[in-house]
Amino acid sequence: MNESPPAVQLDGLARRYGRDMVLSEVSLTIREGRIVVLQGPNGAGKTTLLKVLATRLRPSRGSARVFGFDTVREAHEVRSRTAMLPVFGGSYPTLTGAENLELATRLYGLRLTPSELEAALANVGLAGAAQKQVRGYSSGMKKRLGLARLRMAPAKLWLLDEPYAALDEEGKAYVDALLDEARSTGKTVLLASHEPERVAPLADAVLEVSGGTVRRSERFGVPATPVQAVPVRGG
Amino acid sequence: MNDFTPVLLIAGKDIRQELRSRAITVATLFFAAITLVILAFAVGSDEAILTQIAPGALWVALAFAGVISAAQSYAAEGEENAFEQLLLYPIPRASIYLGKLISNWVYMGFLALILLPTTAVLFDLPLGSHRGALLLTLALGTLGFALIATFYAALTANLRARDSLLPVLMFPVVVPILLAAVRATTSLMQFGNLEMASDWIQLLAGFDLAYLVVCTAIFRFVVDE
Amino acid sequence: MSSDRTTTHPLRPRPLWLNLLAAASLLLVGAGFYLGLVVSPPDVNQGELIRIMYAHVSAAWVCFLAVIIAAVYGMLYLWKGRPMDDVRGTAHAELATIFAGLTIIGGMTYSKPTLNTFWTWDAKLTLTALLFALLVGYFVVRGLIDDRDRRARVSAVVAIIVLASLPFNWMAAEWFRTLHPAKSFDVSASGVSDSADPIFRWILLFNVFAVAVTYVWFSIERIRIGRAQVGLEEQRETTPVTMREAIDV
Repeated sequence: MNESPPAVQLDGLARRYGRDMVLSEVSLTIREGRIVVLQGPNGAGKTTLLKVLATRLRPSRGSARVFGFDTVREAHEVRSRTAMLPVFGGSYPTLTGAENLELATRLYGLRLTPSELEAALANVGLAGAAQKQVRGYSSGMKKRLGLARLRMAPAKLWLLDEPYAALDEEGKAYVDALLDEARSTGKTVLLASHEPERVAPLADAVLEVSGGTVRRSERFGVPATPVQAVPVRGG
Repeated sequence: MNDFTPVLLIAGKDIRQELRSRAITVATLFFAAITLVILAFAVGSDEAILTQIAPGALWVALAFAGVISAAQSYAAEGEENAFEQLLLYPIPRASIYLGKLISNWVYMGFLALILLPTTAVLFDLPLGSHRGALLLTLALGTLGFALIATFYAALTANLRARDSLLPVLMFPVVVPILLAAVRATTSLMQFGNLEMASDWIQLLAGFDLAYLVVCTAIFRFVVDE
Repeated sequence: MSSDRTTTHPLRPRPLWLNLLAAASLLLVGAGFYLGLVVSPPDVNQGELIRIMYAHVSAAWVCFLAVIIAAVYGMLYLWKGRPMDDVRGTAHAELATIFAGLTIIGGMTYSKPTLNTFWTWDAKLTLTALLFALLVGYFVVRGLIDDRDRRARVSAVVAIIVLASLPFNWMAAEWFRTLHPAKSFDVSASGVSDSADPIFRWILLFNVFAVAVTYVWFSIERIRIGRAQVGLEEQRETTPVTMREAIDV
């Protein structure tokens, strides 16, 4: 029996930003179903790493594979299996929350009824704002819209860039719920945060990104073995 | 999902945004109109000369406005980092180009439909009897501009000095469009000569077809980072 | 693997054949000058001005050749992603720019005594001017992109667009001619009329060949430097092996 490929496999990954190397020689394997936190100071390369996995940035050297698919040569395969929550933005300000979500889901190849869209927005506490243009949203509300979009994506790998930033306590609870959902549905999560205290207990591993490379965090000595049974999925 | 669905979704989204914000309309319509007026002033009050340069003035105004509208349509994408997100959906990159091409073409076509009668009045040049061929010239000419503008605007969207860079890159490529469109318009409006116009219209169609293929094929390399 | 390269000097030793090629280029160009300036009789229509044509037409032909080759390397880069194809494409684009500039200067030199103006909207001159503008755009874009992979990709794309624009610009320029000096010289493909003495044609072809060889020599020199630059950049970016650590979670 073939073992299914790991969710993430970075092999000697290096990525330039402008003229400088932000990441150099990152080799990392993340098995399916793990929740992994990337922590490190601003500018350490966390976002760059996530964007490489999301196919937004090509590796300058080395390779990145998602579920066995190369992020450059098989970008389409990777895109249909990943979803990314950016630090901010991702929505069109002159469209309403519901229109933004509808556009996103249709681009994912899904067709949701208006009531399903309403429900998805209510799920992140945006029930009252669904028909309002996003330019009137606060940054926290925009982030919540991003969470709704992420949940709708037919993805097996979630890339969350500073998911807690800009959110109030209620909003942060939605992120926690999202992580629980990921755990129960066997999704793989890569979460970047410069304040990992909140997520460390939920995570299978905390990795530290600094100086262009990735190490196991010494501050958070989380065991590398899964905390609990990860659903085994075939293929 | 049909491969053309995302194209229509993106074009529809652009047009809906524009209907709400009118950002491009405001930025281009008055600009183009002012360009026409300034050209008319610059030439003077000799009506024979005014009539002669009318088609040139029309297409220069359209070309300038087309640059602004294409740049603006990517600026709207960048406002909330939406373009970053757009690039992550499991859709072919070419569909992003084609979607934005359609919306840019629609704006330019709309602009052309307003500027044509404006030019006719300001420069005292009647529309002539070949209205169908004139519309075809407008359609193919604006498509040519939109093809190149949409392509290069994506290329310059995240470069320094993009505002002045876009016309510098794009105008040498669209010279044939400008020339052919002006000549076709002149033949139709000034001389009422359909036969003379048809050569130029064919050049427009050939240009559009060639660049539609080339730009669609290599667009993904423009947005890849 | 790349650590072997870090110890070697990025500029490879200069091979003998390159010096021979350089010498051959200089000799050929010298002979071309001699043929054009001394051996060639004055033309029936153009008189002594035919001598400008030899240089002007050679530069123009080589310029178009260089544009085509630059675009071909652009396509190769997009297909294979090899950094050297970017180096090669850029080298040919640089030479195309230089030869486009020379073509324009040649055209203006020719235009002044015949039409008493430095600039005419002659088809080929207009076409070359547009091409020059396109090539300048290519280098402006290159200068604005710091990441060399993206720079290479975007350059390749622009080179392809430049090539695609050539036939349309040619048609436009050809049909645009209003000031065409119909009787002053024959704008057939070569600028040297067929009906004239065959010696004009042979001297022209010799000059084209000499300039083409010189172009090949220049491109090889430029690519050598480009190869060294790529080598240096790679050296600078190579990380010490000690930093590497494979993580499995």
